[in-house]
Amino acid sequence: VGRSMAAAGSVRAALQVAEVLETIVSCCVGPEGRQVLCTKPTGEVLLTRDGGRLLEALRLDHPIARMIVACVSSHLKKAGDGAKTFIIYLCHLLRGLNAVTDRDKDSLMSENIQTHRRHWKNCCQWKFISQTLITFQTQILDCIMDQYLSGHFLSIFSSVKERTLSRSSLEWLLEAYFCGRVGRNNQKFISQLMCDYFFKCMTYKSGINIFELVDDAFVELNVGVTGLPVSDSRIVAGLVLHRDFSVYCPADGDIRTVIVTETLQPLFSTSGSEFILNSEAQFQTSQFWIMERTESIMKYLHSQNVKLLLSSVKQADLVIYYARLSGISVVECLSSEEISLIQRISGLSPFVIPQGSSQCEISDTALVKFCKPLILRSKRYVHLGLISTCAFMPHCIVLCGPVQGLIEQHKGALHGAFKMLRQLFKDLDLNYMTQASDQNDASSPLIYKNSREGNQLEEHGNGSLQKPCPNTVVKNKNKLEKAQTYLKVISNVELEAYIPCSTVKLTPTNTFQRDQTPRCFSLEKDGIIDDCEPLIESNSTANSTTENTRVDISCENLEIAGKGNVLPMGCRLLDMCTSQSYCSSAMPAGCVLPVGGNFEILLHYYLLNYAKKCQQSEETVVSMIIANALLGIPKILYKSKKGNDSFPQVYRRALHALQTNQPMVSSQTGLESVTGKYQLLTSVLQCLTKILTIDLVINIKRQPQKVHDEDSEDEL
Amino acid sequence: MSRLEAKKPSLCNSEPLTSEGVRATLSVWRGIVSSCYGPSGRLKQLHNGLGGYVCTTSQSAALLRNLSVTHPIIKILVTSVQNHVSCFSDCGLFTAILCCNLIENVQKIVLTPTTVIKLNKHLLRLCTNYLNSEACGCRIPVDFHSARIPLCLVRSVLTSKPASMLTKEEVDHISALILRTFLLTIPENAEGHIILGKSIIVPLKGQRVTDSTVLPGILIEMPEVQLMKLLPIKKSGALKVALFCTTLSGDLSDTGKGTVVVPCGVSLESAVLDQLLNLGRQLVSDHVDLVLCQKVMHPSLKQLLSAHQVIAIDRIGVTLMEPLSKVTVQKIGTQPIGSLGSISTSSYGSVKNLRTAKFGSKHFFHLIPNEGTICSLLLCNRNDTAWDELKLTCQTALHVLQLTVKEPWVLLGGGCTETHLAAYIRHKTCNEPESILKDDAGCTQTELHLVAEAFCRALESLAVSLEHDGGEILTDMKYGHFWSVQAHSPSAVNWSDLLSRCGCGLYNSQEELSWSFLRSTRHPFAPQTCLPREAVGSSSTLTVDCLTAKLGGLQVAVETANLILDLSYVIEDKN
Repeated sequence: VGRSMAAAGSVRAALQVAEVLETIVSCCVGPEGRQVLCTKPTGEVLLTRDGGRLLEALRLDHPIARMIVACVSSHLKKAGDGAKTFIIYLCHLLRGLNAVTDRDKDSLMSENIQTHRRHWKNCCQWKFISQTLITFQTQILDCIMDQYLSGHFLSIFSSVKERTLSRSSLEWLLEAYFCGRVGRNNQKFISQLMCDYFFKCMTYKSGINIFELVDDAFVELNVGVTGLPVSDSRIVAGLVLHRDFSVYCPADGDIRTVIVTETLQPLFSTSGSEFILNSEAQFQTSQFWIMERTESIMKYLHSQNVKLLLSSVKQADLVIYYARLSGISVVECLSSEEISLIQRISGLSPFVIPQGSSQCEISDTALVKFCKPLILRSKRYVHLGLISTCAFMPHCIVLCGPVQGLIEQHKGALHGAFKMLRQLFKDLDLNYMTQASDQNDASSPLIYKNSREGNQLEEHGNGSLQKPCPNTVVKNKNKLEKAQTYLKVISNVELEAYIPCSTVKLTPTNTFQRDQTPRCFSLEKDGIIDDCEPLIESNSTANSTTENTRVDISCENLEIAGKGNVLPMGCRLLDMCTSQSYCSSAMPAGCVLPVGGNFEILLHYYLLNYAKKCQQSEETVVSMIIANALLGIPKILYKSKKGNDSFPQVYRRALHALQTNQPMVSSQTGLESVTGKYQLLTSVLQCLTKILTIDLVINIKRQPQKVHDEDSEDEL
Repeated sequence: MSRLEAKKPSLCNSEPLTSEGVRATLSVWRGIVSSCYGPSGRLKQLHNGLGGYVCTTSQSAALLRNLSVTHPIIKILVTSVQNHVSCFSDCGLFTAILCCNLIENVQKIVLTPTTVIKLNKHLLRLCTNYLNSEACGCRIPVDFHSARIPLCLVRSVLTSKPASMLTKEEVDHISALILRTFLLTIPENAEGHIILGKSIIVPLKGQRVTDSTVLPGILIEMPEVQLMKLLPIKKSGALKVALFCTTLSGDLSDTGKGTVVVPCGVSLESAVLDQLLNLGRQLVSDHVDLVLCQKVMHPSLKQLLSAHQVIAIDRIGVTLMEPLSKVTVQKIGTQPIGSLGSISTSSYGSVKNLRTAKFGSKHFFHLIPNEGTICSLLLCNRNDTAWDELKLTCQTALHVLQLTVKEPWVLLGGGCTETHLAAYIRHKTCNEPESILKDDAGCTQTELHLVAEAFCRALESLAVSLEHDGGEILTDMKYGHFWSVQAHSPSAVNWSDLLSRCGCGLYNSQEELSWSFLRSTRHPFAPQTCLPREAVGSSSTLTVDCLTAKLGGLQVAVETANLILDLSYVIEDKN
């Protein structure tokens, strides 16, 4: 193969690339992140904190870098967030892998092997590891998410069944999101703007499909105005079309409107046809006919009380003239996106010109509350008060900023936020295979139904003592009382999303009542503590016979808790047998966790636990590497913090809380989507697998054939 | 399957503001803009080595349009100022200098950008709240019943642009003219929602500035020969006007995507011409006196019309169409005619009178409306460059007047607002730091003092930029106003003898005031707030600035400075 053109696709090379990217990207991560200025060859200047844009602007040359960027952009298309985190995870994973192999190298390789052979052998080893990664990503990760982590999840909805969303929880979610996406001095403002926008567009009956609509038609739903301070940005009711009236006739009251997709003036000939003129008189007659016809169409529209004509094509001068005479306002050359948005909102279909003189009533008109020119910085727009027939109340965002680059940044961030919400409002399916469950629960890998049980069983595994039943009950009560006093102490500052889920089957009714108290608290507080672990540490009768009951109770808990502001999620569809089987479960829509590395630390903790119990060494290694890589993000987030808020302290406290089943206290307010984090992790693992499976990078002179074209090549 | 793909990797620089090159560029840039600032600002001559047009200016609008900058950071700064200027017309240099000053001052203090940005934002809010509050000591209400303050405003705009090369008398003449022009665009008997009319600036180069004048209605320029042909205008009194927006040239209209087959011997052109002539006959029989056409008119039609003493003018152009339809409108709803078919009599408009006029070497048709808000400002200046500058200045002044109608306040000019504001911020941060930091626990008072000092220095050195002749700048300890003293004045004399009036002209030095150098450090003092009405009444000429424009400039400057301070990388795509 080409000697100098081919480079070994090793982990080391990939790591070098990833580390360079990491240094650039990590300056923008988190609430303390800063801006990056990108210039385009056209002279445009763009401000960004968006990892995707940043990577794209670098125009990387290195093949592995290009592959990474391609993976990031395909992830972004789906999730709308997480490009920076992607790079940081990937870098940490590669670093971990590299460290492991450095250590193993001597034991694996005999010294006299030629470098060439060593390379190939290395590649085989990577292939093996990458297979383990795939297994991990497709099975183990889902399993851990479902069985351990789900116990910690909160829900963004104030009512899970109806999926209603309270303003405060949306604010927390958005503030945390915009912290990473827009400049520091505008974060709060933009997040409030988005919140206002969402609640203005939403009707009580609706909700979720708004995100889809806004995500699809985002370009049409905002207007940028340069030269004004950001704080002048606002939301206007109705739709703002990015063009001026061709004819504007002021009209009051309800205005009827039609959509037209073809020219109203009849032409001499249509494509494919031939029109033969035999004399001047014939020509004059036909011109006269055209004029009459146009006039009659416009008069007809006028008689139907139509006051506004929305056209996707350019109309002839004659049409414009008659529209003026009939007092019909005209907007021409609307893009197909604008037309489809108007149709989606008002349910209006294009007007078909009546053939002949059939003067039937036009059924397809829509009412518009107002229609007037809107002048923003001496540019004129059409402002349309469409009356919505769907769940979306049309509103537009007017984004102001001193320079276009900043407006673009805000636009991008807002669009990304809608993408993120769109993902968050979907259920996420988790599929995995459970391993054989023996009765011998002390030694073999177990099916952990959820984190609580997991912890208990871990204690079994460690051979900790089992407490007799009566004791447990007494202890529970004490603990609960303690928990409630704790609640009262901190109730001024933080919201306790805390429902002690007792799994003691002897006292189900008691638990039920206790559940009520903290729930009331949760309605008023304005901060969050992580969903706490059940304080009841042990259940002496942990065996298969009681499992069903437990599940029932935990479901009950969910229903009880269904009215709080932020709820703990405990609901899983349980479809399990004790023998080896496929398990499919779903993470319900709206799962969130507090910001500040909570997801990472939780997953880290459970992965380490899992690794301890793994039998196969590769699985252990991979789990350990991933677990450690996860800490990369919280490490960066807490980098600037000192003392009690420094990363080692936070980490120590979190681990302690998890080990002793106490609530994890988060110092920051804000929520982040679990779905987003999960998708990100899977994308990173897929990318890593891709990198590992490549052994040689060959530089070729011409484009690869389409059939063999790597998708990574294509998307850059 | 070949794709055009960017080949060169981008250039990536970290911490751009710390690099020596960027700092030097910024300071050169600041030097350019601050040397242009104010009535005694130095002019810049912009030209390229290949010859051609030379621009002499000291206005941000002209300067920034013609200057090409390459460094991305300066580019951000320039576009941000340009965007501000296109919104408000005025205060472009103010914005540019303040932004540069802020960036330079902040770099001298050792605080993280995060802290600085946060505190800058608090200080900006303090400023805007103060300038919008009733207690503000540097703003004056504008009463359009008297011409005094509006005239001061226009005069301040004119004097701050020295490249228009106006003498004192010319400034008086032009400012009165601009105010009159503005008043002509205000509709009579308007209630509630006012829609301002339009003023059209007609160039007349090579004449004396004092020959400039304003006329109600529209001037259409025309060569003398053509004008003679159309004469004489027989009728006095109202004239019937037909205004066409469609072409009258006899072109065939769009025939569609298919083919049109015309046998030999059939002439469509003559068919169309027949139609045109019919139209002409109808116009004549309807007793139309004046036919105006946006596009081209067929010569035969023109001839037909002139044979019947109907005046026909074509190629008006789309820009004049809107004012023309406003001038000729007889009743609401009359629109330019877009059809060659039968015209209803309601489509015709009228003008009060039509006359020819000669200004300098140019001949004009002058349409005098019955009523209306359209006027033409004939602007004269000695040469091209000075005329361009004067035109821009007049547009700025007219725009500033419009903004002031919307928000009837002006700020004291001549550097007084800046020094007063700086004194106010110093006083506030010293005495009530809690009120500024109230909703922000992350910053200490020491940090606030450091950033506030940088902010105030930026405002003060902005005021100092008004002085270009080596003079010394003082500030009084009562109002916090701006006083300048000539260079090389004896230092050990009584200040009140050397100084006459403060920058804005509101106070004179005979009051019992104490002064100190603006550059020296002073004890913070509370500048007098709540401007008394009688103080405004007493002094004759004031220098004032538009509140809306200045407030916008202040906000944009701080926001842009924050944006630039927040940059951690610059990625340049070198393709």
